Amino acid sequence: MGYLEGIAISASINIVCICGLVILTGYIGLFSMGHASFMCIGAYAAAILTKYYSFPFIIALLIGGAIAALSSLIIGVPTLRGKMSADCFAIATLGFGEAVRIIMSNISHPYFGGARGMSGIPAYMNLGWALALAFVSIVLTLNYARSQHGKLALAIRDHQDASELIGINIFREKIKCLMYSAFFCGIGGGMMAHYYTYMVPNVFNATISNNLLTSVVLGGVSSVTGPAMGTAILTFLPEVLRFLSNWRLAIYGLVMVLIMRMRPEGLLAHKEIHQPIVQLVRFIRSRTVRSTDSGRG
Amino acid sequence: MAQLELKNLSVHFGGVKAVQNVSLQIEKGEFRGLIGPNGAGKTTVFNAVTGAAQPTQGEIYFEGTKLNGMRPDKIAHMGIARTFQNIRIYPKMTAAENVAIGLESYPSYNAFSAMLRLPHVVRRDKEIKRLSLEYLDRVGILEYKDHEAGALPYGLQRKLEIARAMAGNPKLLFLDEPAAGMNTQEGLEMVTFLKELHSNNTDLTIVLIEHHLEVVMQLCQTINVLNLGSLLAYGTPKEVQCNPDVIKAYLGERRKTYGE
Ligand SMILES: Nc1ncnc2c1ncn2[C@@H]1O[C@H](COP(=O)(O)OP(=O)(O)O)[C@@H](O)[C@H]1O
Ligand SMILES: [Mg+2]
Repeated sequence: MGYLEGIAISASINIVCICGLVILTGYIGLFSMGHASFMCIGAYAAAILTKYYSFPFIIALLIGGAIAALSSLIIGVPTLRGKMSADCFAIATLGFGEAVRIIMSNISHPYFGGARGMSGIPAYMNLGWALALAFVSIVLTLNYARSQHGKLALAIRDHQDASELIGINIFREKIKCLMYSAFFCGIGGGMMAHYYTYMVPNVFNATISNNLLTSVVLGGVSSVTGPAMGTAILTFLPEVLRFLSNWRLAIYGLVMVLIMRMRPEGLLAHKEIHQPIVQLVRFIRSRTVRSTDSGRG
Repeated sequence: MAQLELKNLSVHFGGVKAVQNVSLQIEKGEFRGLIGPNGAGKTTVFNAVTGAAQPTQGEIYFEGTKLNGMRPDKIAHMGIARTFQNIRIYPKMTAAENVAIGLESYPSYNAFSAMLRLPHVVRRDKEIKRLSLEYLDRVGILEYKDHEAGALPYGLQRKLEIARAMAGNPKLLFLDEPAAGMNTQEGLEMVTFLKELHSNNTDLTIVLIEHHLEVVMQLCQTINVLNLGSLLAYGTPKEVQCNPDVIKAYLGERRKTYGE
């Protein structure tokens, strides 16, 4: 049970992070190769607050997320301005990811612990919290995605130049999406810290960033639940395929190539998992309305 | 004071003098034509005014405000809207959602309210939807409101683009070859449509780029003719039609197309 629970908590943490990246990559179309850095910042901030200042868990998570969001301005402001290409942003995130990891390793302040990291973080994280936070993140992100903010992000992904001429402030929308993504990754990082109760800066490496990016691309553009499902699958799959030992990497690669070939926009592009249910409910409602109408007539 | 004024406008791309020393004035409520052979610089004039291209020289004034160097979204919010020669609708969005982008390009509620989907967000979204449908109705494509925009026929996509531009409540509307790629029947429909658009919005200034002389002749009160980046002629459709320079420019171009 503990084993399954562990995987479920990992999957939930990934879902929270993915909710942020959905808006950044799936909606406005920016690719990041360094979002582990925001998990790192959120993790340290939340852990220091709970461990040394006895902050309540959820408040510490939120502050960690907020600090991560603010720190994203460091890469956002210089690279999202004007006519800078999206590649500049991707490369900046890559550099930022490495920089944060190295800076954290070199902060000798006792709170941070340098390369040895932090330990003795309160073990606040459990399955209940994990599932609840994942669920709330999905709901908030679905709301955001269907709002005008989400629509403007999609517009920018489709036609950036035309969108600006139509009246969209490209820079502000991009910054907003970046901060949104950093906020949720910061929260995810905080969750991770309070689950493992110890951490070293090297945990937040490029592999984590790449896995996040992979999940979004696999899950599908302009979808929230697609990537959330994508990251859940990517968390469980290696465990399920464990009996194949080294073959599992080959199979993993094969699955990715097949998906890219058959569904280049991702598994659930432009769709949500709950859509069929919503449609079914609407359909049944319209049927019952009609039958009461005909009953009256 | 003219609503839009270009003073000695030049736009160069490296060695290409796309627009060269163009001065013109457009009054509020006018229906102005901008014609000229392919590559004359018509689209570039639109691009310069809307901020998509930077003027190399000269000034652009809209209602007395200098537009040079202003950010494109700010120019749009001053009341200048446009359509594109190569249609730029959002293909995966529905027709109604496309219009909603033009209607509310600066969101009126903040990101936190959006995440929590607070009551005022729900209300505003409903309002956006209602207004979008109104604009679709005005251009006569209400029945396609839930259709994916990219799947609509070409002529309807053109109208959708106009609806999206109108949703920004512009004072000045630039139309870049709205009848391009249409057959004669569709072209005639577009002419009727644009006539109605102008008579229903008397305060709206429309500038129309059109390749086909016949279309412009039917719609515009006055016409500027561009050739090789410079203004060649200005006048009423009749005057322009009889201008020997204009005839030469057009025939010259035709000869070239036959030669290809
Ligand atoms: N962004 C650009 N970069 C380089 N050259 C351009 C650009 N835009 C237009 N041009 C050139 O400027 C000239 C005028 O183009 P354009 O304004 O599109 O003509 P028109 O709309 O009258 O057909 C053409 O020679 C075109 O190749
Ligand atoms: Mg053109």
